[in-house]
Order: sequence, then structure tokens, then C-alpha cells
Amino acid sequence: MSDVTKLLVVRDLKTTFQTPSGPLPAVGGVTFELGENETLGIVGESGSGKTVLSRTIMGLQPRRNVEVSGSVLLNGFEVVGASEEAKRAIWGLEVAMVFQDPMTSLNPVMRIGKQIDEILRVRLGMDRHAAKARAIELLELVGIPSPTERYGVFPGELSGGMRQRVVIATALAGSPKLLMADEPTTGLDVTIQAQILNLLQSLKDRLQMSVVLVTHDLGVVATRTSRIIVMYAGRIVEMGTTRDVFAHHRMPYTRALLEGSPKISNPSHTRLLAIPGRPPNLLSLPPGCAFAARCAFATEICRRERPELEPSLEDGHSFACWNPLPVTQGAPA
Amino acid sequence: MYVAEVVEEHHDRPERKKRLGILFWICVGWIALNVVGAIFANVLPIQNPLFQNYATVNAGPSLHHFLGTDDLGRDIFARIVYGSRVSIEVSLGAMLIGFGLGAPLGMLAAYRRGKFDTILTAVMYIFLAFPAIIATIAVLSFWTPRSLLKIIIVVGIASIPLVYRVIRSATMNFATRDFVIAAKVQGATDRRIMVKELLPNIAPVGVSFLLIGIATVVTLEGALAFLGLSVNPPTPSWGNMINESLSILQQNPWLAIFPSLAMCLFLLCLNFIGDRLRAHFEVSEAKL
Repeated sequence: MSDVTKLLVVRDLKTTFQTPSGPLPAVGGVTFELGENETLGIVGESGSGKTVLSRTIMGLQPRRNVEVSGSVLLNGFEVVGASEEAKRAIWGLEVAMVFQDPMTSLNPVMRIGKQIDEILRVRLGMDRHAAKARAIELLELVGIPSPTERYGVFPGELSGGMRQRVVIATALAGSPKLLMADEPTTGLDVTIQAQILNLLQSLKDRLQMSVVLVTHDLGVVATRTSRIIVMYAGRIVEMGTTRDVFAHHRMPYTRALLEGSPKISNPSHTRLLAIPGRPPNLLSLPPGCAFAARCAFATEICRRERPELEPSLEDGHSFACWNPLPVTQGAPA
Repeated sequence: MYVAEVVEEHHDRPERKKRLGILFWICVGWIALNVVGAIFANVLPIQNPLFQNYATVNAGPSLHHFLGTDDLGRDIFARIVYGSRVSIEVSLGAMLIGFGLGAPLGMLAAYRRGKFDTILTAVMYIFLAFPAIIATIAVLSFWTPRSLLKIIIVVGIASIPLVYRVIRSATMNFATRDFVIAAKVQGATDRRIMVKELLPNIAPVGVSFLLIGIATVVTLEGALAFLGLSVNPPTPSWGNMINESLSILQQNPWLAIFPSLAMCLFLLCLNFIGDRLRAHFEVSEAKL
């Protein structure tokens, strides 16, 4: 069993919300693995289920009207079906989370140092002085200048980029083995985005942890992840090493995503190719491939039967498509 | 010109510290004076509020009787100072009960949601549907003999749903924010989240509602005393002083004016303080 060595093993994970108009399968059967010291990118459009997936992996689904099935093994701990108390034992210490909007993910009326202290004192049992020293160390680690002085400021006194660094510092306080970053740069401007992503990358290497980077921005995952999962309508449609997904993608949706993002090598005023149509309504998914209605290569079978994930020629690369693009398709990224 | 303006604006920045204003501090001073008077009434050089001097009945303000005397020759100033004791005791006691039960329940309901919240909120709204004053009048009419403690209990219980509603909605505003989830995924217990994360955020709302609540209870106690349902005479309270003045309003209007004025100023100051504090904290929140 290779599962033992994997940090995160997700098997046929389904998250279904019970809505007044019927069950909504936000995550419809996802299977993947993540090794130690690896960075995984999860990409997809808005509403493709990537955020729900990341929250379900953390065990953060709402208390009511939601049904989770399948299995999430996090360093040997089964998250699905675990009680809040049990999950509390892994939260912060095994897995931590960086949120989308640094403006709301810090308590506005608590000094930033205290927000980092909390976990150190409560969870790791450090005394006041040790916790403060460690918090200042963490602030320095995430690149906050003059951390000793910044220890006592309120979040409102810091810029967005600085706040996101503080959020990362709080997430790192418990030395987690897995860091879930759900669109960690969406609320920041572009230059700061690169800084934060590079910070995450260097921290990952220094602290020997795994990172799951959830984003809709392919530029974000291109150079910083080892593997990529492409999601559509709650399912994985393509999965493989970053290189394979960018250079040898087989699923038309992946290609559409890639064509939809600007490239520096294109001549100026090149039109971006938008994907026609809208993502399908999850309340009434078609019987076949969810992307069929928007796909230029769709045939009869696409509308009738759903393709399963199949391995491609490259090792560890798989895709779900009846009419995959030829292997030679796509230029290297 | 433009450059000069910009520089000036920049220069102005550190000076623009938020101020609560002189009127705020006057109000705080007035409330403090009332509270100190109520606490040290028997130590301060104030006349006996129960001493009846039939030589000077219904006298207007004079040097000897600062605010005059009533129809039994009692010193009005002394009675007002002693009367504030009842108002302050009842309002603080009632708020202690109201916040002691209403605030934790409100926070818990807003944080937990679900059936607990639905049922509790429904019950609270049923209580809210009764006018508080009628309910307190009804209970106090039958629960005899009356004592300060009973009044505090009845008014306190009547204030629970009001506090519950305000604290619940204030908490809901914060309970689903990311920083609460962030604290949760750091392994903080629910109790810790409520005390450390939520409480400091709803404190400004709580404090200003506390001040308004005290003012409301002072009025309520006044109304109850006016109807003869508060402390028994001859113990003075602002409400029963106004009540007693009614029968001799034509001969001695001072008797109605001074206690009313005392109550009015007290309420005005409380409301103003509450309002200023709320505005003060709201601005700082907008800055975040």
C-alpha cells in the first residue's frame, strides 16, 4: 500500500448540499493523493467546487444540510465523519489554512502578535515569554520588517499584503504538515501576489510541508506547483504533473482554460479566447460530460455517458474525456 | 497651490485624533456626580430625607433648603439625592440580570444557530410581544410585599429578551467572518472563540446598549414608582416624588419640577454618552 507514505489520501469524496430545490453535488466524487513536501494546485472556474473541496478536506463543512461521503485520510486521520473535538486535534497542528481575504481573516480588535500567540499558548502549551518570542520569530519568517514593533499593532494598521503575511504566520504557528491556501492572493494586487506566492513557496521548502494551492488563476500554479488538478462542475477532469497539464493536456476544458489566460509571449492586442456558455447548473447535471454543452469537440457519446478519469500515456497523468486532444497537442508552457 | 494642499493634508494627519468632545465629558461628569451622591449620601453633608419640619412646608428654593421643601417639610434636594439610589440600584441590578442571562444566550444562539437558536429566538420574541411595562406592572401588583430586590428581579427578567436580541444580532454580524473560522481551524474551542474572538468585537455595541438599557430602566422604575409599584414610601425615589407632587401641584410646582429635572438630565446624559461611544467606535471600524 503506497497510501501509508502519502500525507493526504482522498477517495471518492462527495459533498452534497441539501437545498430547497434538491440535492446539489458541489463535489461529485474526487480521488487524489498528495505526498509530503509537495505542492498541489487545484484550478477551475468559479463554482467548480474547488473551495468546497478544500473545506471538506479540512472538515470545515457547515453543520447542517450537507452530506459528505468518501474518505479523506490526512496523515492517517479520517476526516470524514470525525467529530469537531477530534478534528480540533489536527486543526492547526496537522493542517492549517490561509484564507482568501486578509481583510476579514484577522480579528480587527486583537493585536496581531496575540493572534499568533493564541495557538502557541493554548495548543503547544508555551508560556507567555516563549510564545511571544516564537511569534516574533514567525513574523520575521514571513518577512514582516521590524517584527518586534509590529507584534503589538492591530490589523487595521497594516496593508493587505502585510496582513496576508500575518495570516500565513498564524497558520504556520502550529508547524502544520499541510497548508491549505484557498485563493490566497485574490484580495491583493498583482505585485504583492507574486511576493506572497514566492513566500509560500520558500516556506514550503524550508519547513518541509505540503501545500494545496486553490486558485482560478493558471499563472499562479504554473511555476509553483508540482502537480495540478483541474476541476469542472465538482469533478476532476484532468490531473497530472504541472508540466504534463500545461504541455500535454488532453481535456478540451484544460485547453480552453489555458487559452483564456493571457500570455506574455503573445503579440499585444491578442484576443483572449473566452469559453462560450456558462458552467452547468449543479442541481440538474446532464447525464453525460458536464462540459459537453460548451465543448467544440463534443459528440453524441459526450452527451449520453460521463467519461471516467483515465490514465494518459505519461505516468500519473489522467483525464476524463471521450474525445481527448491528440497527445502532441499544445506547446510547452 | 495643489502641492501645498497635499503637504498640508499630510501634515494634518497625526493631529486628526478622534475626540469625544467636551459635552461627552460633561455628561460623564454628571453621571459620576449622581453615582457618587447615591453611594455616599449618608456621609455627605445632606439633610435627612425623612425629617419632617412642619415649620417650613412647601417652601421654594432657599439658602437653607437648596431646592425647597415638600408638603411635609422634607428637604427636596436630600430626597432627590437619596432617590437616585433607588433608580441607580434598580437599573444596575436589572441590567446585571438582563446582560448576565441575555448576553451569553444571545451570543450562543448566534454562534451555534440551528434548532437551539430557532427555539430560543421564538421564545424571546414571544416575550418581546408583551409590552414590558404592562408585564412588570402585572407581576409587581401581585407579588407583595414589594422590595427593591423583587423590583430588580422583575425588571431584570423583562430586559432579558431585549438584550438577547441586540447581542444576538451583533454577534451574527461577526460569527461567520473568516477570522472566526480561522480561529476554529487553529483548534480554538467554541468557548474560546466566543470569549476571545467575538466578545471584544461586540463589546462596543454591548456597552452602548447597556447605557441605553440603564436609561430605559430608570424611566421604567420612574413609571412604576409613579404608579406606586416601586419602593414603599417614605423611602424617596424620583418616581414616587413626582407621584406625591401631583396632589399639590398648584401650591408647589417645584416638587414636580426638580425630581423630573433630575431624571431628565440623568437620562439625557446616559443617552448622549451611549450615542457618542457608538459613533466613536463605528468610525474606527470603518477605518479597518
